[in-house]
Amino acid sequence: MAEWTTRQMMVTAIARQIEDHKAYVIGTGLPLIGATFAKKTTAPNAILIFESGMVDGDPQEVPTSVSDLRICYHSSALIPQYRYFGFKSNAYKKDIITTGFLGGAQIDPYGNLNSTAIGDYHLPKTRFTGSGGANGIATYFNTIIMMQHQKRRFCEKVDYVTSPGWVDGNNGRARMGLPADRGPQAVISELGVMRFDKESKRMYLSEYFPGVTPQQIQDNTGFVLDVSRAEQFHLPGLEMLEIMISKVDPQRLMI
Amino acid sequence: MDSKNKVMTLEEAVKEFVHDGDWVALSGFVTNRKPYAAVREIIKQGRKDLYLESGPGGGDVDMLIGAGCVKVLLNSYTANSGFSQVCRRFRKYVEEGKILMEDYSLDVHTLLYHAAALGLPYIAVKNMLGSDLVSKWGIPEEVYANDPKLPSKKLIIERNPFNPDEQLCLVPTPKIDISIVHVQKAAQDGTARIEGPQFGDIDLAMAAKNCIITCEEIVHHDELRREPWQNQIPNIVPDAVVHLPYGAHPAQCANHYDYDGLFLRMYDKVSGDDKLFQEYLDEWVFGIKDHCEYLSKVGTSRLMSLRVQPGYGYVPGLKRR
Repeated sequence: MAEWTTRQMMVTAIARQIEDHKAYVIGTGLPLIGATFAKKTTAPNAILIFESGMVDGDPQEVPTSVSDLRICYHSSALIPQYRYFGFKSNAYKKDIITTGFLGGAQIDPYGNLNSTAIGDYHLPKTRFTGSGGANGIATYFNTIIMMQHQKRRFCEKVDYVTSPGWVDGNNGRARMGLPADRGPQAVISELGVMRFDKESKRMYLSEYFPGVTPQQIQDNTGFVLDVSRAEQFHLPGLEMLEIMISKVDPQRLMI
Repeated sequence: MDSKNKVMTLEEAVKEFVHDGDWVALSGFVTNRKPYAAVREIIKQGRKDLYLESGPGGGDVDMLIGAGCVKVLLNSYTANSGFSQVCRRFRKYVEEGKILMEDYSLDVHTLLYHAAALGLPYIAVKNMLGSDLVSKWGIPEEVYANDPKLPSKKLIIERNPFNPDEQLCLVPTPKIDISIVHVQKAAQDGTARIEGPQFGDIDLAMAAKNCIITCEEIVHHDELRREPWQNQIPNIVPDAVVHLPYGAHPAQCANHYDYDGLFLRMYDKVSGDDKLFQEYLDEWVFGIKDHCEYLSKVGTSRLMSLRVQPGYGYVPGLKRR
């Protein structure tokens, strides 16, 4: 029997967040693979938008960046970048673009993300690229967050908030002047899927991947994680794996 | 037609329009349409104390930092994505406090260029609220207060005067001295056409006091004026036009060439080490007479292998690792 690898399960988890006929702000890496997988299977009319101004492209090869010419292929339009900003601050009114994908080096229980620096911001121990488009996505959209599941990455307090999540709980975003009715929806790691409590906005374990235990996930998390609602992740049939491998990433660059 | 001929050599254009201490903005987006040839010339001419920003930066920004040309970096992102996830000279110089760096969100940066191109003093946005982009400033307050090149503050949080319930982040627009934009086609009068994604580059060209256009092709102005609706940069904007085929190598340039994946891999390696980086500069910047010699060094077969395939717009199956 063919086995699902961790990354293939993550791609499946990402694809389940994608609804047909909705638009998504996508970065490169696994989210693009997951979104492409959804387009080939459950959400053929999903629209992918990139912060470089490329709208509804249909990449045939895995792009290395959001500005890669591979994303221009079959695009609806290439718009000036400032229009992308306008889409974010306006287009959500039409409820078309609802969700963006993010990643980071550190995350706290409320989904605040650090992709800027570890240690003191002014003399960092490790410096990363910085916000890029992440902060804007976190400002205006619901987000799905990709993380490596390690204790030092899932921490009580991040060293630098690049992209605000629920800030410090239910009223946090409103207090900061951020749109309050949207924020982090899910965190997908190589161990499972975390979500945020409707009331407290604190992260809890929603699903664990086959072969992983809730305790193992708690052990790799630097804060107390409610695991009482956790269920095992339901894998689709192997025909879906076949589609993922043959149609989404035949060069096997990402999966 | 008797229009001004703005065509110059790269050496002349950089000498005339890029000065020590200037605020410089570079076109493109990480590995796409980056003005690499101009960057090499700036390094060669030894410019110092630059205030540098760009559309999301890549090796162009990284090389200027590593060559010691940069005093202040204002940016949202610096990576040769897919090849260097964080540019390595940039990372080292920030970690060691050797340059001042201010962080922005990409959206804010893009909008700042747009506002600057329109001559507006600041933008009012919700971005960056609730994040450390507001509360932790990379450039110290006293530097903002005392450096005449910089605005008096990174930003101000203010209530919307038309809707006091709404908080806004007010961010001042940059005063860019010189923008360098690589395009596909330009005429000697300065008329320029970008093919493929524009990113924020029309705004960059128009926001700066001076603008150097580097281009794949110099086209007769009658040709560009046959379909003026395809041109984005009017002749009154650029001050210099420099003919530089493959001027964005090793980045991509739509309708012309893909990125040079193996070159970017090599750069990833050399930019991670002080000595190797110096050797790289000696070999690929200081040891090269001009752009023609650079192209000869890269080699004809290598350059031809990067020509995009019509219908795809890139090189299918390009060797990237």
